[in-house]
Amino acid sequence: MRQYELMVILDPEIDDRSAQPALEKFLTVVTKDGGTIDNLDLWGRRRLAYEIKKKPEGIYAVVNMTCEPATAKELDRQLNLSESILRTKLLRPGA
Amino acid sequence: MAKPVVRKPKKKANPLKLAKIENIDYKDAALLRKFISDRGKIRARRVTGVSVQQQRLIATAVKNAREMALLPYSSSAR
Repeated sequence: MRQYELMVILDPEIDDRSAQPALEKFLTVVTKDGGTIDNLDLWGRRRLAYEIKKKPEGIYAVVNMTCEPATAKELDRQLNLSESILRTKLLRPGA
Repeated sequence: MAKPVVRKPKKKANPLKLAKIENIDYKDAALLRKFISDRGKIRARRVTGVSVQQQRLIATAVKNAREMALLPYSSSAR
Protein backbone atom coordinates (compact mmCIF):
# COMPACT_ATOMS: atom_id res chain seq x y z
CA MET A 1 0.00 0.00 0.00
CA ARG A 2 1.22 3.44 -0.87
CA GLN A 3 0.00 6.95 -0.39
CA TYR A 4 -1.07 8.84 -3.46
CA GLU A 5 -2.21 12.29 -4.27
CA LEU A 6 -4.46 12.68 -7.25
CA MET A 7 -5.47 15.94 -8.82
CA VAL A 8 -8.34 15.95 -11.26
CA ILE A 9 -9.72 18.68 -13.49
CA LEU A 10 -13.35 17.99 -14.30
CA ASP A 11 -15.31 19.35 -17.22
CA PRO A 12 -16.88 22.73 -16.31
CA GLU A 13 -20.09 21.76 -18.09
CA ILE A 14 -21.13 19.40 -15.31
CA ASP A 15 -23.02 20.83 -12.40
CA ASP A 16 -21.08 21.96 -9.32
CA ARG A 17 -23.24 19.75 -7.12
CA SER A 18 -22.91 16.65 -9.29
CA ALA A 19 -19.12 16.99 -9.47
CA GLN A 20 -18.51 15.32 -6.13
CA PRO A 21 -20.78 12.28 -6.75
CA ALA A 22 -19.29 11.90 -10.23
CA LEU A 23 -15.80 11.78 -8.78
CA GLU A 24 -16.82 9.45 -5.97
CA LYS A 25 -18.12 7.02 -8.53
CA PHE A 26 -14.64 6.73 -9.98
CA LEU A 27 -13.12 6.35 -6.54
CA THR A 28 -15.15 3.22 -5.78
CA VAL A 29 -12.40 1.32 -7.63
CA VAL A 30 -10.05 2.17 -4.78
CA THR A 31 -12.32 1.09 -1.94
CA LYS A 32 -13.28 -2.07 -3.82
CA ASP A 33 -9.62 -3.12 -4.07
CA GLY A 34 -8.98 -2.61 -0.38
CA GLY A 35 -7.63 0.93 -0.52
CA THR A 36 -8.87 3.93 1.41
CA ILE A 37 -9.76 7.49 0.45
CA ASP A 38 -8.12 9.64 3.10
CA ASN A 39 -9.28 13.03 1.93
CA LEU A 40 -11.30 14.53 -0.89
CA ASP A 41 -10.89 18.24 -1.40
CA LEU A 42 -13.11 19.85 -4.01
CA TRP A 43 -11.61 23.20 -4.94
CA GLY A 44 -14.48 24.08 -7.19
CA ARG A 45 -14.45 26.15 -10.35
CA ARG A 46 -11.16 27.76 -11.25
CA ARG A 47 -9.87 29.58 -14.30
CA LEU A 48 -7.32 27.59 -16.28
CA ALA A 49 -4.00 29.20 -17.13
CA TYR A 50 -4.59 28.08 -20.70
CA GLU A 51 -7.48 26.42 -22.50
CA ILE A 52 -7.89 22.66 -22.33
CA LYS A 53 -10.22 21.19 -24.94
CA LYS A 54 -11.30 24.77 -25.74
CA LYS A 55 -12.55 25.28 -22.20
CA PRO A 56 -11.42 28.30 -20.20
CA GLU A 57 -12.22 26.90 -16.77
CA GLY A 58 -12.41 23.63 -14.90
CA ILE A 59 -13.52 22.07 -11.63
CA TYR A 60 -10.49 21.11 -9.56
CA ALA A 61 -10.40 18.31 -7.02
CA VAL A 62 -7.57 16.84 -4.96
CA VAL A 63 -7.81 13.32 -3.57
CA ASN A 64 -5.48 11.77 -1.02
CA MET A 65 -5.65 8.00 -0.91
CA THR A 66 -3.83 4.89 0.21
CA CYS A 67 -3.93 1.93 -2.15
CA GLU A 68 -1.94 -0.60 -4.14
CA PRO A 69 0.09 0.75 -7.07
CA ALA A 70 -1.95 -1.29 -9.55
CA THR A 71 -5.19 0.19 -8.21
CA ALA A 72 -3.90 3.73 -8.53
CA LYS A 73 -2.81 3.06 -12.08
CA GLU A 74 -6.19 1.57 -12.94
CA LEU A 75 -8.02 4.57 -11.46
CA ASP A 76 -5.86 6.96 -13.46
CA ARG A 77 -6.55 4.95 -16.62
CA GLN A 78 -10.30 5.04 -16.07
CA LEU A 79 -10.25 8.77 -15.37
CA ASN A 80 -8.34 9.43 -18.55
CA LEU A 81 -10.86 7.42 -20.57
CA SER A 82 -13.74 9.52 -19.30
CA GLU A 83 -14.93 12.44 -21.41
CA SER A 84 -15.89 14.51 -18.38
CA ILE A 85 -12.31 14.61 -17.07
CA LEU A 86 -10.05 17.22 -18.63
CA ARG A 87 -6.81 16.24 -16.93
CA THR A 88 -5.39 14.17 -14.08
CA LYS A 89 -2.17 14.05 -12.15
CA LEU A 90 -1.22 11.13 -9.94
CA LEU A 91 1.68 11.77 -7.57
CA ARG A 92 3.24 10.20 -4.53
CA PRO A 93 3.79 12.99 -2.03
CA GLY A 94 7.34 13.13 -0.74
CA ALA A 95 8.73 10.81 -3.41
CA MET B 1 47.99 49.75 -15.76
CA ALA B 2 44.68 49.92 -14.04
CA LYS B 3 43.70 46.89 -12.10
CA PRO B 4 40.43 45.29 -13.20
CA VAL B 5 37.83 45.89 -10.56
CA VAL B 6 36.77 42.60 -9.04
CA ARG B 7 33.23 42.97 -7.77
CA LYS B 8 31.98 40.51 -5.32
CA PRO B 9 28.27 39.98 -5.88
CA LYS B 10 26.22 40.58 -2.83
CA LYS B 11 24.60 37.43 -1.54
CA LYS B 12 20.85 37.57 -1.48
CA ALA B 13 18.77 36.57 1.49
CA ASN B 14 16.95 33.32 0.92
CA PRO B 15 13.30 34.34 0.48
CA LEU B 16 11.94 30.92 1.46
CA LYS B 17 13.88 30.87 4.67
CA LEU B 18 12.67 34.36 5.47
CA ALA B 19 9.06 33.36 4.92
CA LYS B 20 9.59 30.09 6.84
CA ILE B 21 8.37 27.90 4.01
CA GLU B 22 9.64 24.35 4.18
CA ASN B 23 7.92 22.31 1.54
CA ILE B 24 7.24 23.51 -1.95
CA ASP B 25 3.98 22.25 -3.37
CA TYR B 26 2.84 22.45 -6.98
CA LYS B 27 -0.70 23.24 -5.74
CA ASP B 28 0.43 26.53 -4.20
CA ALA B 29 0.27 28.60 -7.37
CA ALA B 30 0.44 31.90 -5.47
CA LEU B 31 3.84 31.00 -4.02
CA LEU B 32 5.20 29.66 -7.30
CA ARG B 33 4.19 32.84 -9.10
CA LYS B 34 6.96 34.60 -7.24
CA PHE B 35 9.48 32.36 -8.97
CA ILE B 36 8.32 32.90 -12.54
CA SER B 37 8.72 35.98 -14.66
CA ASP B 38 5.73 37.85 -16.06
CA ARG B 39 6.28 35.93 -19.29
CA GLY B 40 5.90 32.68 -17.38
CA LYS B 41 9.55 31.61 -17.40
CA ILE B 42 11.19 30.14 -14.31
CA ARG B 43 13.45 32.72 -12.69
CA ALA B 44 17.14 31.88 -12.36
CA ARG B 45 18.64 31.08 -9.00
CA ARG B 46 20.80 34.19 -9.08
CA VAL B 47 17.57 36.18 -9.24
CA THR B 48 15.53 34.22 -6.69
CA GLY B 49 18.36 33.65 -4.21
CA VAL B 50 17.20 30.23 -3.05
CA SER B 51 19.44 27.20 -2.48
CA VAL B 52 20.29 24.72 -5.24
CA GLN B 53 18.08 22.05 -3.71
CA GLN B 54 15.16 24.42 -3.31
CA GLN B 55 15.53 25.73 -6.86
CA ARG B 56 15.24 22.18 -8.14
CA LEU B 57 12.08 21.63 -6.09
CA ILE B 58 10.65 24.90 -7.37
CA ALA B 59 11.43 23.97 -10.97
CA THR B 60 9.62 20.62 -10.75
CA ALA B 61 6.73 22.21 -8.87
CA VAL B 62 6.32 24.88 -11.55
CA LYS B 63 6.40 22.23 -14.26
CA ASN B 64 3.76 20.15 -12.46
CA ALA B 65 1.61 23.24 -11.94
CA ARG B 66 1.89 24.08 -15.63
CA GLU B 67 0.64 20.63 -16.58
CA MET B 68 -2.42 21.18 -14.42
CA ALA B 69 -3.06 24.66 -15.90
CA LEU B 70 -2.38 26.37 -12.57
CA LEU B 71 0.46 28.34 -14.14
CA PRO B 72 0.91 29.36 -17.76
CA TYR B 73 3.51 27.86 -20.06
CA SER B 74 3.87 31.30 -21.55
CA SER B 75 2.01 34.53 -21.13
CA SER B 76 1.20 36.72 -24.07
CA ALA B 77 2.25 39.78 -22.07
CA ARG B 78 4.10 42.19 -24.38
